[in-house]
Amino acid sequence: MKRFVVAISVALLFTPILEAQESTPAPPPVEQQIPGQQPGASRSTPPGQAIVPVPVPIAPPKPNGPVQKSLVRITATSVEPDYRAPWNAGALQRGVGAGFVISGNRIMTNAHVVANSRYVTVERDGDPNKYPATVQFIANDCDLALITVSAPDFFKDMIPLKFGGIPALESTVSAYGYPIGGERMSVTTGIVSRVDFQLYTHSSVDQHLAIQISAQINPGNSGGPVMQDGKVAGVAFQGYSGDVAQGVAYMIPTPVINRFLKDIGNGHYDEYPDLAITYAKLQNPAQRKFLGLKDGDRGVLVSSVVAAGPSDGILRPGDVLLAIDGHPIASDASVELEGERAQFEEVVERKFKGDSVKFEILRDKQPMSLTIKLYKPWPYSIQGHSYDVRPRYVLYGGLLFQPLNLDTLEAYRSTDLRLRHFFEYFILEQIYLQHPDVIVLSNILPDPINTYLAPYRGAIVDEINGKKILTLDELAKAFAEAPERLVIRMIGDGPPLVLDRNKIEAARERIKTRYNVAKEQNLEERPASGAPKQANKT
Amino acid sequence: MLRHSLIAFGIMFVAVSGTLAKKESAIPPSVAKQKQLALVRVNVTGQSYDYFRPWQKKAPFSKRALGAVLSKGRVLVTADLVANQNYVELERAESGEKTAANVQVIDYEANLALLEPTEKTFLDGITPLEISPDTVVGDRLAAWQLEPTGALLATEGLVTTVQMMPYPIDIGEFLTYRISIPMQYRENSYTVPLVKNNKLAGLLLRYDSRSQLLDAIPAPVITHFLKEAESQNYRGFPSAGFSFFPTRDPQLREFAGEKGKGGGVYITNVEAGTPAMKAGLQVGDVVTAIGNNEIDQNGNYVDRLFGKIEFTNLLTAHAYAGDVIPFHIQRNGKAMQLNMTLEHRDAKDYVSPPYYLDQPPRYYVLGGLIFQELSRQYLKEWGLNWQREAPQRLVYLDRFQSEFFPERNRRVVILSQVLPANSTIGYDDLAYLTVTKVNGKEIKSLDDLAQAVKQPIEGFIKIETEEDPKQIELDAAQVAAEAPELQENYGISSLQRLQ
Repeated sequence: MKRFVVAISVALLFTPILEAQESTPAPPPVEQQIPGQQPGASRSTPPGQAIVPVPVPIAPPKPNGPVQKSLVRITATSVEPDYRAPWNAGALQRGVGAGFVISGNRIMTNAHVVANSRYVTVERDGDPNKYPATVQFIANDCDLALITVSAPDFFKDMIPLKFGGIPALESTVSAYGYPIGGERMSVTTGIVSRVDFQLYTHSSVDQHLAIQISAQINPGNSGGPVMQDGKVAGVAFQGYSGDVAQGVAYMIPTPVINRFLKDIGNGHYDEYPDLAITYAKLQNPAQRKFLGLKDGDRGVLVSSVVAAGPSDGILRPGDVLLAIDGHPIASDASVELEGERAQFEEVVERKFKGDSVKFEILRDKQPMSLTIKLYKPWPYSIQGHSYDVRPRYVLYGGLLFQPLNLDTLEAYRSTDLRLRHFFEYFILEQIYLQHPDVIVLSNILPDPINTYLAPYRGAIVDEINGKKILTLDELAKAFAEAPERLVIRMIGDGPPLVLDRNKIEAARERIKTRYNVAKEQNLEERPASGAPKQANKT
Repeated sequence: MLRHSLIAFGIMFVAVSGTLAKKESAIPPSVAKQKQLALVRVNVTGQSYDYFRPWQKKAPFSKRALGAVLSKGRVLVTADLVANQNYVELERAESGEKTAANVQVIDYEANLALLEPTEKTFLDGITPLEISPDTVVGDRLAAWQLEPTGALLATEGLVTTVQMMPYPIDIGEFLTYRISIPMQYRENSYTVPLVKNNKLAGLLLRYDSRSQLLDAIPAPVITHFLKEAESQNYRGFPSAGFSFFPTRDPQLREFAGEKGKGGGVYITNVEAGTPAMKAGLQVGDVVTAIGNNEIDQNGNYVDRLFGKIEFTNLLTAHAYAGDVIPFHIQRNGKAMQLNMTLEHRDAKDYVSPPYYLDQPPRYYVLGGLIFQELSRQYLKEWGLNWQREAPQRLVYLDRFQSEFFPERNRRVVILSQVLPANSTIGYDDLAYLTVTKVNGKEIKSLDDLAQAVKQPIEGFIKIETEEDPKQIELDAAQVAAEAPELQENYGISSLQRLQ
């Protein structure tokens, strides 16, 4: 289940570890990508100071084996979409991350290392060449990706790594990567501090199991293996910037990795399914008695069921969930899985699209059994970051209309109370039923025809000429088939926005030329480049 | 509509170094010689209610201010100064003689209050200030403060603009003078009279020491207040109950049936039960004139004194509750006239009252669950930045209350916090939930809630909320049994206040 992460400040401080190198041209400030590190520390080599690589003997007892034979350094050039000028290609960025070879001539890394990438190269230890790589699979909801190199001999001398299980608390692990832009492998060591659900900041909406370790992890470690006893215990992926917490880093544990590898078995990444319910713990004795629960420690209460999700019509608010796939659910929402306590969502976490989950429930004090066939409900996508897609928009008469989502909200840094409410309660208040796209008049390119329209900025489109507008496609259609006059009603008690079609038609070319708008609309979230999508379908 | 709410500057005084220019055009020599200044010191002690622990008051505050002595033994101050007062004291500037005072009339929206000394002879010998009604842009006004000795400290400033601006209680806007003035800090700087030719021209509303800009409550608003205060039953400033938008955009003008270059404002919303609704004003009407005052496309009329100013001034400082105001409108291109009888809208007539002062907040404690009614006063407990810091869902409900509760005649009951107790185990983290039903009965006020909890369902009290977890149950018998201990543990003097 997605818990609604209202604390956006936390998400901002909690940054994926990907190093942003010098980019061409200068990109807008990207908070997400640059954790708080020493100024200048992101440069690979200080200019004018050549570092001559010297052979460094590695200590003979190598607990994890020759990891440098498995590790690669990944350089990705990516294009970040410009949500404020969505017709533009976006800013170029270059980042460095790590990756490691696994079976089947594949390289595993983080999704955030190669998301939005246009060109990816990999380097390996003791080889001066840079090899072009292609993205095979990318899973933005769990921050994992697989890439491959087509050069015939690339994998010949590489040793594929094998995966272990969840390491024990306090046991020692070692993280491998290329932190702070270095070109040679770096190793840091720490212990396993905690195993718990965490927000994966790459999407900013998904929560999965993550392992907190005390090994130093820095930008450039992203995608690198964290090893124990010669096996991969996890993939380093995120941490806190230094001014929030120190010695706290996270890796993606092997259950999440194994699930990803299994999911792509059919040649396509299907994403995590979700029950799409919210629930409350049942720790109050009076409430337990009211609901007819006799035993002292079982059951959680269903608070709401998302209409667009797989539980709709099966579960109801007020149901008490007693067991999931035979595992009793404790009143604090935990189940016992393989001898460990875990949140009951972990059972769903390990499933795939199309799988079923079986619940024992209590409804109106009567026991029942229910089966839910899982899939991923679409409304969650607006609350997370999107990658490898072009922003959707419609530009009409200099008025830019965009669907509300995390990326647009962050691009405009909007503090508008209504917009923020529509975003945060999109699912909980089932706003998506009325407004599958929350269409915002996000910006205005000034022109004589819209010179008095500035006060409408930030308003949400409700209807045009009396017809409700549900999606951006419907908006584009309403504009395309516009009668002489368009009367756009916005949500709230503001004035209608009135547009004269003939005047707008006359201004179209003028606005396109003046603001260098290549295309007046994009309605499909087509992948930004051919590469990842094509690979996705492999 | 679409008006940005300004952030009140607050009254910040910072000692200003350097000396004042010795220009005294606004301060006639006679003033300094006058023995009995029409100024008294006002010392106020008060206590605000603590909305996070609604059964108690916060620690006492004290404020020291100046009051302008008016005729009939009255002293004019801002409402801000005496809101939530426990004790008000007047002090003669030259002698230090003191007496207690009562608040005679208070208007929180216009931020004005009249005090009267308990000792009738206390103000004897003081020549009261008259009101100077005709201040315009370019005039020089003197801010009157007192030196510790009781001597006058007069600072001169220039009136730079006269316009409609929000007052601390953010309901509509009122006429305001903005004055550029280098004020100095003195102890009694809370309410400072602004004087022109020995007559009262305004009262300090807020001062920003960085920009040295002072906003003043102007004479026309003071005059309105004083005139109403004469009557037995103070009604307050009128409110009409509609929102509007300029008609500058030609496309909107054409849509509204406006031809040519005429003026007027487009009506975007008419609230139910308000004078505008009763008068028959409709969304889409274009108001072109009020009385004999034509309104331009931006919503301004030409005031004989101030020139162009927003027409809402005609419905506040210029008009009184009960007045019948002719509205000239265009509806579907046809000219019409509506007569609107203005009324004052009391704070309690809002679903989420905009202010709640000098009266204790209502609350109901049920086995550790604290229920309160949503009000802006409650949200303001989060401090100056309450609009960003307070629970956003509640801020949203407050801001758009006329949209969500057009019926008006109700309150929003919130479960504001949970005090850990045996009956609330597992509920400790709940806060800021809006209550929809209790024991199956709809809840539109704390009175509804107090009634509904008396009828438990099979011994349980069931509370339903709009937000997750959607339902909470308590054991009615346990709640009753645990009440004395709860009061004892958390120092709750009374478990409810519903008056």
